Order: sequence, then structure tokens, then C-alpha cells
Amino acid sequence: MTGSRRAIAAALAAAILGGWGCRRGEETPYPGPGEKKLNLYIWSEYLPKEVIEEFTRRTGIEIRYDLYDSNEPVLEKLQSGVAAYDLVVPSDYMVRILIQLKLLRPLEKARLKNLGNLDPRFLDKEFDPKNGYSLPYVWGTTGYGYDRQKARRPLESWTPLFDPANRGEILMLDDMRECFAVALKSLGHSLNSTDPAVLKQAADLLKKQKPLVKTYNSGDYENILASGDVEYAHGYNGQLAKLVAKDPSRFAYVLPKEGATIWMDSVCIPARARNVESIYAFLDYILEPEVNARIVNGISYASANVPARPFIRPEILNDPAIYPSEAALARCEFIEDIGDATTILDEYWTEIKAQ
Amino acid sequence: MAGEQRKSGRLAYGLVLPTWLTLGIFFLLPLTILFVISFGQRATYGGLKPIEDLGLYLSSGKFLANYARSLHPIYLQIFWRSLWMAVVTTGLCLVISYPVAYYIAVAAPARRRNLLLGLVVVPFWTSFLIRTYAWMFILRTEGLINHVLLSTGLTSRPLELLYNNFSVLLGLVYGELPFMILPLYASLEKLDLSLLEASADLGAPRRATFWRVTMPMTMPGVVAGIILVFVPSLGQFIVSDLLGGAKTILAGNLIQNQFAVARNKPFGSAVAFELTAAVLALLFLYALYTKRKGQDVLL
Amino acid sequence: MKRGWVLAAHAWLVYIFLYAPIGILVVFSFNRGRQTAVWEGGTLEWYRSLAANDLIQGAVRNSLIVGIVSTVAATIIGTLVALALGRYEFRGTGFTRNLLYLPMIIPEIVLGAALVTFFGVAAMRLSLWTVVIAHIVFSISYVAIVVRARLSGFDRSLEEAALDLGARPLQTFWRVTLPLIAPGIVAGALLAFTISIDDYVITSFVAGVGATTLPLQIYSMLKIGVTPEVNAVSTLLLGVTVVLIVIAQRLQQAPGQRGEAS
Repeated sequence: MTGSRRAIAAALAAAILGGWGCRRGEETPYPGPGEKKLNLYIWSEYLPKEVIEEFTRRTGIEIRYDLYDSNEPVLEKLQSGVAAYDLVVPSDYMVRILIQLKLLRPLEKARLKNLGNLDPRFLDKEFDPKNGYSLPYVWGTTGYGYDRQKARRPLESWTPLFDPANRGEILMLDDMRECFAVALKSLGHSLNSTDPAVLKQAADLLKKQKPLVKTYNSGDYENILASGDVEYAHGYNGQLAKLVAKDPSRFAYVLPKEGATIWMDSVCIPARARNVESIYAFLDYILEPEVNARIVNGISYASANVPARPFIRPEILNDPAIYPSEAALARCEFIEDIGDATTILDEYWTEIKAQ
Repeated sequence: MAGEQRKSGRLAYGLVLPTWLTLGIFFLLPLTILFVISFGQRATYGGLKPIEDLGLYLSSGKFLANYARSLHPIYLQIFWRSLWMAVVTTGLCLVISYPVAYYIAVAAPARRRNLLLGLVVVPFWTSFLIRTYAWMFILRTEGLINHVLLSTGLTSRPLELLYNNFSVLLGLVYGELPFMILPLYASLEKLDLSLLEASADLGAPRRATFWRVTMPMTMPGVVAGIILVFVPSLGQFIVSDLLGGAKTILAGNLIQNQFAVARNKPFGSAVAFELTAAVLALLFLYALYTKRKGQDVLL
Repeated sequence: MKRGWVLAAHAWLVYIFLYAPIGILVVFSFNRGRQTAVWEGGTLEWYRSLAANDLIQGAVRNSLIVGIVSTVAATIIGTLVALALGRYEFRGTGFTRNLLYLPMIIPEIVLGAALVTFFGVAAMRLSLWTVVIAHIVFSISYVAIVVRARLSGFDRSLEEAALDLGARPLQTFWRVTLPLIAPGIVAGALLAFTISIDDYVITSFVAGVGATTLPLQIYSMLKIGVTPEVNAVSTLLLGVTVVLIVIAQRLQQAPGQRGEAS
């Protein structure tokens, strides 16, 4: 009796002390190489299965992943300090926030031999100068898809989304910044404006638009467009491009001439990541031209990898929805964090939704 | 429950200790932390703004900023709409469920009772998310109902059944129905049918028997059902997101928005605790009611 | 008699209402097409691709682990407290009751946010076990209510008889009381399990890496577009549940001497 009781007490003590020791170690970047595992936290549909399997086959590193469909859970999980991810793939403005909050581990670029494959046009962006913490994964734009038969002529501008004649036929992303981006761009302003008068104008425009909107949806907008529930669907280019490719006579994607959002999702290493060796092995892997091309081919979003281009399917490479022209890109802006103005926008957004 | 003898004893403390510990550490404590946060301010990137001078912060009343903000008309409008939705949902559930519970408890053959009850519960075991999505499938413009209506020529244009108040109410009622049926059944099952017969024998018309004998005797079940349906309805957000096309903001959406998108935990917590306070007030009234009756109905 | 007909009709209409989406779910899990409301022929391909889908299988496994562990714990804790409230007078009765009501009132999202904040403060890494803890927290109240309801209809004379015949209190508890309230305990456990299996909101806050449960998995699949695979999973889950309930029913009605059946 006493023997086993002591054993249990000892085990308990070891567990608690061991746990304690673990906690201490997490204050500084984990020095060790970590294990042959990789914990990813990534957008749904961003990583084709075969790419993952190939990696595990080559290196023996087991990948576990969790999915998210908006940036905020990334912040939430990393801020809580108790989520154990090795790699996350946040969007541009979120990368900046994570850097400011010291939640990311600096990149040791010397460990990556394929770094040179990246297109310099997508490096050294404002949200992460000199790419101290992130590498571009994929990028895209936010325009809208529409039903060509209903529109009867090619569309170029955001105006149909605000036209009362299209009442009940419009879908908007359920995303505060993206909707305000559309309004601000339509009014000819920067989508990162913090001018209260300008923001009010944009909010009024969105309030006028609301009765025309059938639904706000950030998840399967392309399906709602495809099923005929709406004729105009605000959305990200990749999913809409897939739909257009399936039925080009019926659907089209437009990056309006007033300008739109360009966004970039980048891979970053959380500050408390542990499996460092595995992380760099994976980063080098996805920077390889053929692997990167396989990702692009699989998810229909553009990457920033130059030598990957010959391996990308021509239909994707030549699709202006996925690889837009320079002129079109010049009209686009990245969403940046607007600090305290977020609260103002949030109040407007609440008002708009509460109507 | 009347006439139960209660022993006193230290054994009782041993029995409740696990509950006190579990809920104390993993429920009360986290809520307290959140409550404290509700008096804070959002930092520029989400998170909490550090407070330089605590004394000044408290005395100037700034710590109440979030609660003050929640009293703006725009938010009051949201609370009102949520309240209204919850009331309508509860009312509809009650009206729909009572006859069903009555049928199972009184009218149906006794051997079928468990089966019928089980049938009420079984839908629970499929994911709520999926059932909600199934409704979208049924209600959308090219969905099942419109498909049938159009192909049989009953209507010439598809009906707008989705992304509006109708679909939201439908989703809410649908999700809460079992929570109303079960307590009603529990009450009705204990009903002494001989009382109903006596009433009829004394010449009372059926309607009078129902309102003056059946209803009052099943009141505990009705009240329990109302609470079990009304409370969750107030905090719902998934239904209005999916079936409502994210076009309506209810209290639950507001809270979720603050936590998930606006990254304003302090304000979100403040609204959350206000919602909780409203419900607690309701429960307090319920407690008064049961005190009159002499015992607690649920616990 | 006319009244009886209306009543039955109403009841059956409500049942149809309850089962309509489920029926659709099941039927379309065999549909060849992906999205449309049009029947395109029967197929088992979605069930086959389920077998190859290890994301879903992992999620099911996680949901089962969480469900079983949290249900067992919550049932024990909840039964104990129900006994205490139903049998004993002690200081703290009111407090305990209110404490038990609270988890049912607090909006799920608040509880989720509170818990994840708490785990952060306590430096507890998010994992499957944080999910288990969260589920135990919100299940206890439901178990307590159900068991308490069972206790209230209890015929004490059987216990007293046992004691009069010389049985010790603990013996009486094990061999008289417990079997008699067993249906209530089972009902409470079933309720707790049901709630745990279907929980999305709270779990989404506190799940760690690789701790994705079925609702989380389904939600992310729904977000990218409904595939009939989701239907297939639900149908299977439904089938298993029905079988379990039927078995539970049979067990309860087995040897007649075991007391009331429900």
C-alpha cells in the first residue's frame, strides 16, 4: 500500500515540477531543435494533401494541422500563449500586429537555401520590413464575381454592388475591413483612411447598400453565386477564379477600376514554436519551385515564387483573376492596421448590421 | 418533492466538494477574470491597455466606460431586438410544444411513450450546425421547397425563404423545441388524470378544464421550459449568422464580434455580463415564484 | 374523438418538422451530385471517401474521447451534488443551486472566452484536456438537474425498509438507492454526452493543436462549401446514436425486478 502511494506521489510531483520547468523554458525562444513534428495553423484549403504527404515521405516529419477561416483566431491563440503551433499563415495586417505584440520568432534566413526563389516585388513590405519575420505564401485580390448572363456586358466597376436595381442579388464578404475597402475605394479614398469624415461617408454608403444585400458570407460565396442565389458576389479571387474556370460562359471575375484590396498571406513562426528544425525543413520545402507550383495549382492562388512559374498550369498563370496585370495591381492596396480607428469602424459596422 | 425529509450532515459537504472545486476553479475564477477585464480598455492592437494610475482610473469613473458605451441607442436597439426574438421564439415553442407533450403524456398509448420521447431527443444527436445547414438547403432559392413549388406550378417565382427574419425564427424554434417538449412532458406525465375526469363530470367544458385545471397543474413544467428556451435564445449567434445571412445583429453576434473581430475583449465582456445580469434578474423572479410554491422545481 | 385526431395530427406534423432536415441529410448523403437539390442518382462514394478522410476520423476520435471522459466525470460530480441537494440540509444549499444554474445561463461565447483567458493566465497549454475540462464544467449542471428530478419522485420507504432490516447505510446506498436512481443517472449521462458531442462555440476557444473535435471539423468543412461527406458523417453518427438509444432502452426494460423502467 505505502509503496504504491509513494510512487503515485512521486509521479505527481514529477509531473507538476516537469510542467513548471516547461513553463519557465517558454519565456525565451526555444533553443533546441525540437522534434520531428510540425504543428501548422493554416487557412482552410491552403495546403494540398499531396504536398503534405510528400513532405512526410521525404523527411519523416509528421505534420499536424488545424484550420482557420479568419485572422482573429490566430491572434487569439498566439496571445493566449498556450497554443503550440510551429507555423501560422496570417494575412498582412495581422503579421504586423503579431510583430508589434512580439508574438513571432525572427527568421534565421541563413538556414533557408531556397530563399532566392522569392519575387522581390513581394518582399520588404510595410507590414514586415526586410521580412524579419515572415515569408510570402500566397497573395491575391478581393474583387467580385458576377453572372454574365444577368449583367449582359463585362463589368469594370464597383457600382453594380450599390445599384438599387440589383436589390437582393448581392453578396458581400462578412468582413468589416473588406466591406469598408469597397466603399472607400468607390468613393475614391485609400482603404486605410482614418479620416473620420471619410469613414462616415463610407459607412453611410454601406448603410444604403444593406437593404440590397442578400447575405454577408465569407465562407462559400462562390457556391452561393453558383447556385443562383445572388448575381454579384464580393469575394477573394482564388475561389471565384475556380468557379469562373468551371463555367466561363456564365461567370466572370472583376478587379474593379476604382481599386481593390490586395492581400498577402505569409508564413510566420510563433515565438513559442518548438520544432525549429522541422520548421526550416518545411519552409525550404515549400520554397522549392515544383512544390510551390503544386500548391498554386492546387489552390488557385498566386505565389511569389519565380522559378515555380514554368511548373504552374498555363490556365492559372494566364488567368487575370489569379495573376492580374501590372496596371491592375497598381490600383490595389494592402489592408493595414488602423490602430484605434478600428473601434470607430467597428461601431459603424455594428450600426450597419443592426439596421 | 413535498414531504422530503432532509438529513443534516457533514456528508453533504463531501458530496458537494467536487462541484465547488471544479466550478470554483474552472468557472467562477475565469469569469471573475473576465469581469475584471470588462472594466479595462482595449489596447491599440487588441489586448489590454495597461492602466497607469489605478486610483485616478477608478475615481474618475473611467472604468465604467464600456458599460456606458453599451447604453448607446445602437446597442440598446440590438438588445431590444434580441429580447424580442427570444420572446417570440419562446412563445412559438410553447404553443407548438404543449400539444405534442400532451399527446405523448396523455393521449398516446402508454407503451409508445418512451419511443415517442426518444424520437424527440434523437435529432439532438446530429450536429446542430449540420441541421442548420440542412435548413439552408431546404429554404434557399434553388432549394428543396422552391424546387417543389416551381416544378408543380404552385408558384411562378421562387419564394424568399432564406436570409430573413422568417428563417432566423425557424432556426431558433427548431433548435429549441426539444428543450420545451421535455419539461412539459415531465410535468404532464405527473398529471393526475382523474382530476380532469372529475372536472368533466362536474360539467366543465373542455376548454375550461384545460385552462383551469391542466394548465395550472403543469405550470412548473411550463416555467421550466420557458427558462430553458428563453435563456439560450438570447445568446444565440450561429443561427442568425447562417440562416439570417449575417444581416441581423443579435446580442450573441455583438459579443462574438467584439471577441473575434473587433478584438475588444473589455467591451465584449461588458456586454456579456449585462446579458448575464438580465438573465439573472429573470432567474431571481423565477426563484421568487418557486419560493411561493414552496420548493425549487429544477434543483 | 375529433379532438384526439387533431392532437395526433399536430404531434406528427411537429415530428415531421423535426426530422425534415435530418431526412434530407441522410438522403443526400447518397446523392451523386454535390450541391444541387436535385437527386442525381445513388452512390456510396461519399461514405468511401469518408474512410479515407483522416481529418474527420481524427475529429471523431477526439470527440469520443472528450465526450466519454467529460461525461463520466460530470456524471459522477453531478450525481453527488444532486444527492446532496436532494437529501441534506446544509449551509450553502442556495449557493450551490445558483452555482449550478450559472453555467446554463452564461452565454457560451462568454464561457469560452473566459476559459481561454484563464488557461493563458494559468499557463496551461491548450490541448484535448482543456476541452475536456471545459466540457465537464458545462455538463455538471445538466446531470444534476436530471438526477435531482429522479430523486424527487423517489420512494423513501424502500430505503427505510432496507435499513430496518439491518443493512448498513453504505450497503443501502449501493444496493437500493443507486439502482433505483440509475435511470436518472443514465439519462443525465446521455444528456451530458449529447451536449458534449455537439458543442462548437466553447470548444472552438479552448481546443489545442490536433484537438479538433467533430463540430469544429464540420464547421470548417461547411465554411468551404458543403460536401456530402459531411452528410455521410452525420448519417453514420445518427445511426450509431439510434442503436445506442435502442440498446439503452432494452437494458432498462430487462429484468422486471429492477424497478421502474423510466
